[in-house]
Amino acid sequence: MLSRVANLVYWMARYLERAENTARIVDVNAALVVDLQSRRDADDPKSWESLIYVSGGEELFDQLYDEVSERTVVEFMLFEKRNPGSIFSCVSQARENARCIRDQIASEVWEQINTFYLKLRDDDYARYAQLGSSEYLSRVKTQSQLLYGIAESMLPRNQAWWFFELGRFLERADNVSRILDVKYFMLLPALDAVGSALDIIQWASVLRSCSGFEAFRKSRRGQLNLERVVDYLMLDDAFPRSVYFSVREAEHALAQITADTPHIAENAATTLIADLRAELEQIVIRDVLADGLHEYLDQLQLKVSEIHEAVQNVFITYPTAGAHKW
Amino acid sequence: MADLFQNYALDGFYDEMFAAPGRPHPHYERLSARFTQMENMGELLERQKRADQTFLSRGVTFTVYSDDRGTEKIFPFDLIPRIIPAHEWAHLEAGLTQRMTALNLFLADIYGPQRILREGVVPREMVGSSKNFRPEMVGFAVPRGLYVHINGTDLVRDEHGDYRVLEDNLRTPSGVSYVLENRQIMKRVFPGLIRDYRVRPVELYPNDLLALLLHLAPEHVPEPTVVLLTPGIYNSAYFEHAFLARQMGIEIVEGSDLVVEDDRVYMRRTGGLAPVHVIYRRLDDDFLDPTVFREDSLLGVPGLVRAYRAGNVALCNPIGTGVADDKAMYYYVPRMIKFYLGEEPILPNVETHLSSDPDDLKFILENLPRLVVKSVNEAGGYGMLVGPHSTRAQIEEFRVKITANPRNFIAQPTLGLSRCPAVCGDSIEGRHIDLRPYILNGETVKIMPGGLTRVALRKGSLVVNSSQGGGSKDTWVLSASAGTHPPAPGPEKIAV
Repeated sequence: MLSRVANLVYWMARYLERAENTARIVDVNAALVVDLQSRRDADDPKSWESLIYVSGGEELFDQLYDEVSERTVVEFMLFEKRNPGSIFSCVSQARENARCIRDQIASEVWEQINTFYLKLRDDDYARYAQLGSSEYLSRVKTQSQLLYGIAESMLPRNQAWWFFELGRFLERADNVSRILDVKYFMLLPALDAVGSALDIIQWASVLRSCSGFEAFRKSRRGQLNLERVVDYLMLDDAFPRSVYFSVREAEHALAQITADTPHIAENAATTLIADLRAELEQIVIRDVLADGLHEYLDQLQLKVSEIHEAVQNVFITYPTAGAHKW
Repeated sequence: MADLFQNYALDGFYDEMFAAPGRPHPHYERLSARFTQMENMGELLERQKRADQTFLSRGVTFTVYSDDRGTEKIFPFDLIPRIIPAHEWAHLEAGLTQRMTALNLFLADIYGPQRILREGVVPREMVGSSKNFRPEMVGFAVPRGLYVHINGTDLVRDEHGDYRVLEDNLRTPSGVSYVLENRQIMKRVFPGLIRDYRVRPVELYPNDLLALLLHLAPEHVPEPTVVLLTPGIYNSAYFEHAFLARQMGIEIVEGSDLVVEDDRVYMRRTGGLAPVHVIYRRLDDDFLDPTVFREDSLLGVPGLVRAYRAGNVALCNPIGTGVADDKAMYYYVPRMIKFYLGEEPILPNVETHLSSDPDDLKFILENLPRLVVKSVNEAGGYGMLVGPHSTRAQIEEFRVKITANPRNFIAQPTLGLSRCPAVCGDSIEGRHIDLRPYILNGETVKIMPGGLTRVALRKGSLVVNSSQGGGSKDTWVLSASAGTHPPAPGPEKIAV
């Protein structure tokens, strides 16, 4: 397929995944704030502040708003057109990409993205407050899930599909590691209260933000604690939102992409992603925690971004001089 | 039974359907009988609604530039078909073939020996001053000796019902996708009528176009790759580009997808560079190659013209065809036909005055309120003065423009274009129409039976362009043996 088209599909998937994860993070935080309110000052800006760090948009946030509150943070992360990471911006970008390849994706897929976009465009904080965070965000997640369902049942399993999968899982690996990082940072002061009710509630919230709470319970890993939650979200080989699972799916997608092009079956991207997968198969979370989870996650995000760069170089923006000619 | 045409007025124009009030032309009798069966406008409006919805859901739209919501609009479609009997079509086909043949010879001559200029049939300065003449192409032998491959010639009928050529479109004529989609819709809305009329099919067009494109491929390539080059999704005709690419089963590409290496064109695919041998480009010459034409063009492909000149890639249409569809050059087409073919033109032009001719200029300036003045290089109904429908100020504005740059304008009498019944609100009224057939020039000249009938839906309007409130109709060319009369009255209902 054309490199440009592959790139549009790839980014479309990344934007959609990012939007969905943002909705999850905000949702869980709102729920957590409710849990905390009996113990802490309900207006404590700290309970919303960490979200800004997840998105990596601290500077922009400070330019746009004077105070940290549920209202400003939710506006920033959901509706803010000037924030390229807001759900609205991500979905607009995904829609713009879909529009460019409208004739090459199933019309049902385009219609769903367009519907998603049109619903968001007319929403604002008042709408969010009116419905309540849980109801509003569950609608957003449903729109996104609907899209995946339609895509899954409508799109032929050709290269376009595999670029869609590649983008989706690379983005997921990155997002989940960011959620872990921020929550870890935020929950660290609570470590001295290990095993307390608050501790358990907070780690449960981390799982919930990855829709992993019920799955974790069913995996029979025992009582919730830091190590077990990190292990589950990083390394579980059956949970579809774990970092390991995402990397493995991305690796599979990459292999499918080069199925018909043996001359590039071995490339920088496949090597990097195989290395990362092998590494995740080796590590022990206890050691990672001992050496510093934040440092490890930083490295992980760097590796995901190197894989991304390699994908771009191999398939999309490769230099024409010396390129393989059919 | 109510007669839907009871209040239909001819207003002194030539009418496609009625020879006189209440008396249809023979080829419209069957349709008239079918419409008489309808109880009232309700059924027709119901069908019209169904057609509109189908267009919207099929995404048959054109983009409106200034719309940030990105909502595309449908090109309004009118249900009442324009019917052309076989003998009329035979006449048009002969005339269009003759015109295409002469235009091809003219372009071959202009970019070759320039005999027609040396013999003074066409003034040399007419070519030299045309901004669509491409001196870079002089002396270049185009593939298969074909200097133009696709022409969308606009035809109108005058007060007497005689067909005349209004203009040629030799660059990137658009609209053919609407012809194909209109027919799909009509097959759903009036299936019986289409069958009974034995309407000639238009569906072969994508096959014929692909055959033409393959015919142009460099001869040494066993399995040539054809692509369609689009300016991108923001182009108003993007729907058509995607539609045709899909119909032909070829890749739709943007300039950034193509690269030129060693004078060969490749498209950038995920698995490497794939060679391209024929480009059906829907991009004007100016934007094709920033190293030769407009430097600021981001839509084109650097090096494309070199690859073309090296014979490694074919372009459809070729570069430089625009010199022959310039509205001033139009004036000379009947003379080209005589000069190259020794024949009289089968399809006459509309009477035309060139403001570059001093006598004509005087005539034009004296008669502005009753003339149509067109800017030579504009298309889409822009840069145009319709004298009788213009204010004094608009007329004076054009007087200044024409005097300042006489080469840039032509003038024609305001034509009483033929009219055809159209659904207007909840009644049927006469509206002016034209016809754009699509002529392909490959191994032979091939013309799709029919073409795009555009209709000026605004009451009294003569401008049919989609950008100016125009719509379209399905065009039915009848087979020679078609039955045009309604079946003898009997117990059975006429099939729909």
